[in-house]
Amino acid sequence: MFSYILKRVLIFIPTMLIISILTFALSKMSPGDSVRIALGNQEAQGETNGSSDRMAGEKAYLDMAQQLGFDLPSFYFLFSNAATPDTLYKIIKKPERDNLERLIGQYGDWPEIEQYYHAVKAVDLHLLDVKKDSTIFDQDKLIRDDAGKLLLEYKDVTIQDMLTEMDKASATSPLLAGVHQDIQHLQASYTAIKQKATPSKNMIPSLKWYGLNNQYHRWLSHFLHLDFGISYIDKRPIWSKIKEALPWTLMLNLISILLSYLIAIPIGISSARNKGSIGEQATTVFLFILYSLPVFWVATLLITFVTTPEYGMDWFPTFGVGEITDQMSWSEALMERVSHFILPVFCITYGSLAYLSRQMRGGVLSVFRQDYIRTARAKGLSEGKVVWKHALRNSLIPIITIFASLLPAAISGAFIIEIIFSLPGMGKVAYLSLQSRDYPMVFTVMMFSAFLTLVGTLISDILYAVVDPRISFDK
Amino acid sequence: MAKEKNKVEKAETLNAIVRRQFNRNRPAVWSLRLLMFIFLIGISADFIANEKPYYAEIKGQTYFPVLRGIGVDWGLTTWPTELSNVDWRDLQYDKVVWALVPYSPTTMDSKNRDYVGPFDQQNVASARWKHYLGTDNLGRDVLSGMIHGTTVAMMVGVVSMSVALLLGLFFGSLAGYYGDSRLKMTRLTIVLNVVALPFAMFYAFSVRSYTLTDAMAVSIWRFTGHFILSLGIFAGIMAIPNLLDRFFKKIPYLGGEVSLPIDILVSRLIEILESIPSLLLLLSIVAIIEKPSLMIVMVIIGLTRWTGIARYLRGELLRVRSLEYVEAAQALGYPEWRIILRHTLPNSLTSVLISVSFGIASAILTESSLSFLGIGVPPEQVTWGSMLSLARGETHAWWVAIFPGFAIFITVTIFNLIGDGLTEALDPRLKQ
Repeated sequence: MFSYILKRVLIFIPTMLIISILTFALSKMSPGDSVRIALGNQEAQGETNGSSDRMAGEKAYLDMAQQLGFDLPSFYFLFSNAATPDTLYKIIKKPERDNLERLIGQYGDWPEIEQYYHAVKAVDLHLLDVKKDSTIFDQDKLIRDDAGKLLLEYKDVTIQDMLTEMDKASATSPLLAGVHQDIQHLQASYTAIKQKATPSKNMIPSLKWYGLNNQYHRWLSHFLHLDFGISYIDKRPIWSKIKEALPWTLMLNLISILLSYLIAIPIGISSARNKGSIGEQATTVFLFILYSLPVFWVATLLITFVTTPEYGMDWFPTFGVGEITDQMSWSEALMERVSHFILPVFCITYGSLAYLSRQMRGGVLSVFRQDYIRTARAKGLSEGKVVWKHALRNSLIPIITIFASLLPAAISGAFIIEIIFSLPGMGKVAYLSLQSRDYPMVFTVMMFSAFLTLVGTLISDILYAVVDPRISFDK
Repeated sequence: MAKEKNKVEKAETLNAIVRRQFNRNRPAVWSLRLLMFIFLIGISADFIANEKPYYAEIKGQTYFPVLRGIGVDWGLTTWPTELSNVDWRDLQYDKVVWALVPYSPTTMDSKNRDYVGPFDQQNVASARWKHYLGTDNLGRDVLSGMIHGTTVAMMVGVVSMSVALLLGLFFGSLAGYYGDSRLKMTRLTIVLNVVALPFAMFYAFSVRSYTLTDAMAVSIWRFTGHFILSLGIFAGIMAIPNLLDRFFKKIPYLGGEVSLPIDILVSRLIEILESIPSLLLLLSIVAIIEKPSLMIVMVIIGLTRWTGIARYLRGELLRVRSLEYVEAAQALGYPEWRIILRHTLPNSLTSVLISVSFGIASAILTESSLSFLGIGVPPEQVTWGSMLSLARGETHAWWVAIFPGFAIFITVTIFNLIGDGLTEALDPRLKQ
């Protein structure tokens, strides 16, 4: 038994690793600029006075990127084509990097593309230092906009158009003479890209090795030291947010799982005993309907009808977990919590309750067909003794194995219930952080939920062996 | 010859037994009938609820706007200039036949905005124009939304389960038939397979990634075409080491045969995927898509739902494989592929239907919870879930809380009942 548990726990490791890589990859593929989210979107774009301000803005951006580790390569290695340089990760802004990759995909000559990239940036910077007056206002704006767009453009025709447009605009005023030169240099560097194009380099695979100093490794090693990082949104440590949310989720799930087992077992037994009676058939139909009711519909209906005075049934509070003040006695505090918990717990419970009862009924029925039950009855044992002493234990086996699948289902179910009833649990936290693209938070919630699921499966396997002595894991 | 045919007819096949057992299960049979009805509504939604008339005569010209509209949607035709971007209700008709429900799900009836209930005073010309199930905040007809939501639900079921079936059948039959000891390869082939995998990924997907994303921007069909081509390249590269396998056998050590623990590998993969909370996984995958689209949501649901089918099929195949008739087939010297395709797979497929049936129910539930949360589905798309979510902010509008949710409930129940019926039909002992 012990070696079996050890083996199972060892399997946790690759599972968690794969999940971590999956979540990490998802966060890398996500749109949106994490650095900007972490900076709180304050950095005003464009309207700065001169290149020094722009430089300061860029520096703040780079500092934040460094702090978050975005100046590192993503993973231990990169399997890509020979045309892509191994230092491309140093361009931190994802849209710009994506566009450069696209250009590489088209032309395959990185040195020329790099020249072009710097030329675009040079035009932009140079323009900031030009003394502005009203005569060149339009040209200034046009060139600045175009330079910004060029960083995100890969279509040949559009680039050509924009370059000509910029060239024309800069030629109109002597104030822009310096910029005009830069633009001509830019045009030359773009022509060079096309002349020296080697798109075939894209067809050669190449493996780039980055070593341990990468974003994933950094994140994972912090994670293993229980340092989950800081939430982008409110800059609070993730661990403290999780510490607040986890008890609510665990409490909801444990109460509902406990309740559903406590109610399901007697229902299952009695409906198996009274098989064929009208009451039993009604119960079966009722349980089936309960099982098929979508939980978010039931929750919406409950909120609509029994938490508002609209239909004269304002019985329960609508949202939240209630507030406990110092003046409340413990019984009042308990009532406050219970009144907020009744509806959510009901919503999470009824589905698994129905499922469990159905399984329990099936389990008892199949045990009733066994010879040893007939023997027990034949030797004159009372029906109660037959059921509770002889049949119960074996009929528990199927519903104990269900525990493993019940836990993740309950967590998923609680997720949507927490959102609907606005309970501050893990589901609510995950939903909010997903909406604001707060990836460190999402990662951590995902890892925790996966871990809980694995533990649930393990517990049910152990219980399986406890209930059924025939099952032995040491073979 | 005739005698042999006679024999085949006499022996009842497993499928016939299952069909007979299924037909005895009244709830399941009625569910199947109801399902056909719902399916019919789903495919003819455009004809039932549409703001365009079936038939219209304007200035002596005759039009069939509903049909034309479907043609335009499929890209087969375009609107004549006098009918492009018109408000159908404001046109002057010489003669007109309106649709059964004269509203599209997106039609905004500005006179009945802000949740007008079915029993409230409605600002409509006549009973013909009444909103029988009320309207939502923008004045969209709830009945029309329900009808068109049926199309969405049916599509979700079909598309996501097709994706799940493809993957589930592949992995399930691989693991179930070969087990841990039946797939033998030379050592060299195994090494070459590992080497070929990154190359296959590179040439099939990495090199073509821009082609694929550009195709996605054009249309889903174009993307599918390119994706199939990519799969072809992938399969082609992976086939090379495996076709060379027989020539490797002569090499002394590297040519030695070892068995691949394919069952362990697949089972572990399933175990890992199933330990990720699926709703959370779905949410985070959907969150990285820049442009929300129903099609992508359906495919992703399929991608997270294949494990059930694979697990089921694996178990079935493991059981069937040890049955006597397979042994008999082996003793008769039938080749492996024939035993898999003609004998074991057909007998396991009926049971796969069970997980497909439950799978459709759960896919529809998942999609409606996603659109209920307002994630992944474009805001202008009307689905049962998105209609239901309106009730969260507006408690007095009981009609948006009841009707869409009821539709979800009925559909899910139908598929669950069919699944139950199939389970009992396959294993009649459960019925007792």
